[in-house]
Amino acid sequence: MLDGKYIWRMSKAGATLAAVLLCAGWLSAQTPNATNVPGAPSAAGAPVSEKAPAGKAAQENAPQQSARAVREVVDETGRTVRLAQPVERIVSLAPSLTETIYALGLQEHLVGDTDYCDYPAEAQKKTKVGGTINPSLEQVVALRPDVVLMTSINRFETVRALDDLNIPVYTTDPHNVQEILSSTIKLADVLGAAQNGVTLAGEMQQRLSELQQRVGELPAKRVLFVVWTEPLITIGKNTFIADALRKAGAVSIVDTTQDWPKVSLEEIVRLQPEFLVFTVQNDEKAPDLLALSALPGWRGLDAVRNHRFIVVSDAVNRPAPRIVSAIEDMARQLHPEAFTDSPSVAPPVNKDPLNKEKVEKPNAAPEKTPPAQSTSLVANDAAFCMRIEHLACNR
Amino acid sequence: MQPLTLRRLLLRCAALAAVLFVVVVLALKLGAVQVSLYGLARELIRFALHQTSELPSNYSLIIFDIRLPRIFLGVFVGASLAVAGTSFQALLRNPLADPYVLGVSSGAAVGAILAYMIEPHLGLAPDVAVLLTPLGAFMGALVTIAGVYLLGQRDGEIDSTTLLLGGIITASFLNALIMLLLNLISERDHGGMSFWLMGDLSTPLQSNLQWIIRVGFFLAAGAIYTTASDLNLLLAGEKEAIHLGVDVRRVRIVVYVAASILTGLAVSVSGAIGYVGLLVPHVMRMIFGSDHRILLPTAAFGGAIAVVLADMLARTVVAPGELPVGAMTALAGAPLFIYLLRRRMG
Amino acid sequence: MSSAARDSVAVSAASNAILSVEQVSYAYASNSAQAPLFTLEAMSLQARAGEIVAILGPNACGKSTLLNLIAGVLAPLSGRVLLDGFVTHTMPPRARAQRIAMVQQESQLLFPSRAWEFVMQGRHPYGRSLRFENEEDVVVARNALAQVGAEHLTDRRMDKISGGEKQRVILARALAQQPAMLLLDEPTLHLDIAAQVDLLDALRRLASVSRYIVVVVTHELNLAAEYADQVALLQRGRCLRVGPPSSVYQRELLEQVFQTPLTVETGPSGRPHVNVWSGKSTERS
Repeated sequence: MLDGKYIWRMSKAGATLAAVLLCAGWLSAQTPNATNVPGAPSAAGAPVSEKAPAGKAAQENAPQQSARAVREVVDETGRTVRLAQPVERIVSLAPSLTETIYALGLQEHLVGDTDYCDYPAEAQKKTKVGGTINPSLEQVVALRPDVVLMTSINRFETVRALDDLNIPVYTTDPHNVQEILSSTIKLADVLGAAQNGVTLAGEMQQRLSELQQRVGELPAKRVLFVVWTEPLITIGKNTFIADALRKAGAVSIVDTTQDWPKVSLEEIVRLQPEFLVFTVQNDEKAPDLLALSALPGWRGLDAVRNHRFIVVSDAVNRPAPRIVSAIEDMARQLHPEAFTDSPSVAPPVNKDPLNKEKVEKPNAAPEKTPPAQSTSLVANDAAFCMRIEHLACNR
Repeated sequence: MQPLTLRRLLLRCAALAAVLFVVVVLALKLGAVQVSLYGLARELIRFALHQTSELPSNYSLIIFDIRLPRIFLGVFVGASLAVAGTSFQALLRNPLADPYVLGVSSGAAVGAILAYMIEPHLGLAPDVAVLLTPLGAFMGALVTIAGVYLLGQRDGEIDSTTLLLGGIITASFLNALIMLLLNLISERDHGGMSFWLMGDLSTPLQSNLQWIIRVGFFLAAGAIYTTASDLNLLLAGEKEAIHLGVDVRRVRIVVYVAASILTGLAVSVSGAIGYVGLLVPHVMRMIFGSDHRILLPTAAFGGAIAVVLADMLARTVVAPGELPVGAMTALAGAPLFIYLLRRRMG
Repeated sequence: MSSAARDSVAVSAASNAILSVEQVSYAYASNSAQAPLFTLEAMSLQARAGEIVAILGPNACGKSTLLNLIAGVLAPLSGRVLLDGFVTHTMPPRARAQRIAMVQQESQLLFPSRAWEFVMQGRHPYGRSLRFENEEDVVVARNALAQVGAEHLTDRRMDKISGGEKQRVILARALAQQPAMLLLDEPTLHLDIAAQVDLLDALRRLASVSRYIVVVVTHELNLAAEYADQVALLQRGRCLRVGPPSSVYQRELLEQVFQTPLTVETGPSGRPHVNVWSGKSTERS
């Protein structure tokens, strides 16, 4: 009985402790922002330096605690965002945004990005906060960002969660190539690099206009943009990729409002695309396209029989400045006749111009890109959505 | 002969509460961001003393605004699933019954997705609209369990095998329906929805939803607990229970509705987290016996401990990335399940 | 345990209860629009405290239906069953379980418990659902086990004891309900002959000492003749005869009901004894 009493007492102590913690947790959850209210009376009245924790990140931030100007902007989903100026610490939650930041020359301010941010190669060295759909909120918080950049591949829930933590979130949502440009300008402005944005977008616009002059009048080639081969997944007409194809003098044979439609091979055989467009990642081996000609169904495609394959950088999958190069590359491969006069249109190194129709063995990414190391898990944004869907299907 | 006393019950609950406490502290400490025990203790003490600073430190933001709400969500989701599983096992007289196996989770998911789809067309105030998903999940769960119950009947009696088969068929049908619905919703929600379906605790809830989870849990679990000793007799069979003075109809309705509420709430905030409702009751039964007066509360604690642990692993194994907690519970649960199954047979 | 508690157990509520079945009939139908699949024609019987009533008949004659009607878990189509003046099927479930205890055919246990826990279930009607068993419940359960001679099984697990022992524990649970009436549905079905006799001896003792009304559904013609004060003979939903064994055990009647040639003689106890020819046996073991 003595033992029993002892255990009983210990348990009582444990239960009390647990109850205290439970109550504490309950209260804190009730007032999630209580600790964040600026100007809330400080119980101890201790000086700022004492209140800051010993954590490294916080010390880095100590200067920020002085009053900073606040700017209100409206992001592309219509949310009003209050940003402390100047924006010095940026977290990007999408590969396209990371690329844009580098293109704008703001990489010094990029303090964190996702596991899938693989371009440029230096982006891989930034602190990772997890995936695009499931970033670690606490890692984001620990980076003390002035703004978190998000786009359409991220989840609304993440936006809301960061809102609740009083972390400003700026969201872009471009639906076509033109919007990628305007989105870039606006983002540059929000991040305090308005001039860079205008210059960058101007350059992109310039190259697109030149391309328009070359291929705009030519009849559009009918293509199948292959996102995934098994099952066959392509793009819908409302995606920016479809718009990129149009800019490159091509049109997707699949005309649907679904963004990532799964289509049947027999429908493709019926539609008979002139070209098949594949994307390849920087470090990835080019898909074995010749193997397709041995597969039933695929070998019924004229494009496969005639080896009319086009392989472009996966930059085309990302609504970022680099998409212009990808568009140019596609245009060159689809309309080589339009580029016979001068190869100067394509600034990026392209050692293997023209004559793409006869590609026997498709070459790797046409755009010269720095060697990339990791990123074998998930190919690209679009493919990532597919991958997630697969996981769900397989459950 | 040592009948259950309130004291013995409280003693066991206290022991489990202590385990839960340790797990919670561990879950508060571990994560993508390193938090030292010292730092954690200091923040907890500061919080207890109401010494909140004007500008929250990283630690307090991470501990109190990110980890703690998530741990709490895990506690309530785990407890809900375990209590729902325990009561389904008793009511359906089937040791393999749990919300996931019977398709009730899938039904709740279908309900939640449907509610999510119609919500924009109703023009509700945001505060009300938030409640639509849990309500849909509850309705989905209720309809499914009613369907599975009817499927599982043979000659007016619940037949264990038929019931289980009915549940599996229902679950696969509903999962197909989920795929169909996912194809109808906008692409942007698609990825998030899929992630949610795999079991996800990472999304913080609006505060009114948090309230609903807690109040809903205590009401529903409380209602089930009032039938605890009836459930003991129902385990012996409905006919025997009737002869022992159990109002079987009333118990059945109370438990089905309450367990559907628990499942619906858990699924609407965390997707389908499998195996918790199945395994936790079995483990608790092995430790504490099959008296539901003690099994229900201990299963609630056990479910909370299991889910908080699983979520802690989900957060840390591939940090800073996160696995769906449903994947963690399945990874740990399936082998444990096979072990229990073989033990039972042996 | 206190002696007062023991006394309160010894003095059963059953001392002078009366069961009366008044023109009870019943019909099963797969749905209400169809003709009934099975009917039990109106029948009556009376039993006093201390009496054993055996319900006899071939398979599917309505024995179990009649038992369930008596138990009050089925509502009769016409007529009523009264126990001490109360209509059994309209009693609240708890009140009914305090007066009527049923011993079913062997029950399958999903999660096996210990014998005493099983017997404790019989105390369920006496508490609210969240009540914890008190000293009195423990005494009642102990006594119930003692009454069937199963004290030694108290801490054994139900899945680790023999069929006969299990049947005793189940009977003990029924006694723990402290009922006025004990109903048994083929309690001897899976028992060997010694265990059958044991069980029926126990019932006989319980009926005469503790003044229960005992109603037993059984196939065992000779055991019924040996132990029952009254026998109700059923065939295809009709009650052919009710009365003491000597009046019911008529050769022609039994041959007609059981469709087998047999003889009836007076056994050593002065009660009728049935012998079956042609190698068939009505006795099962």
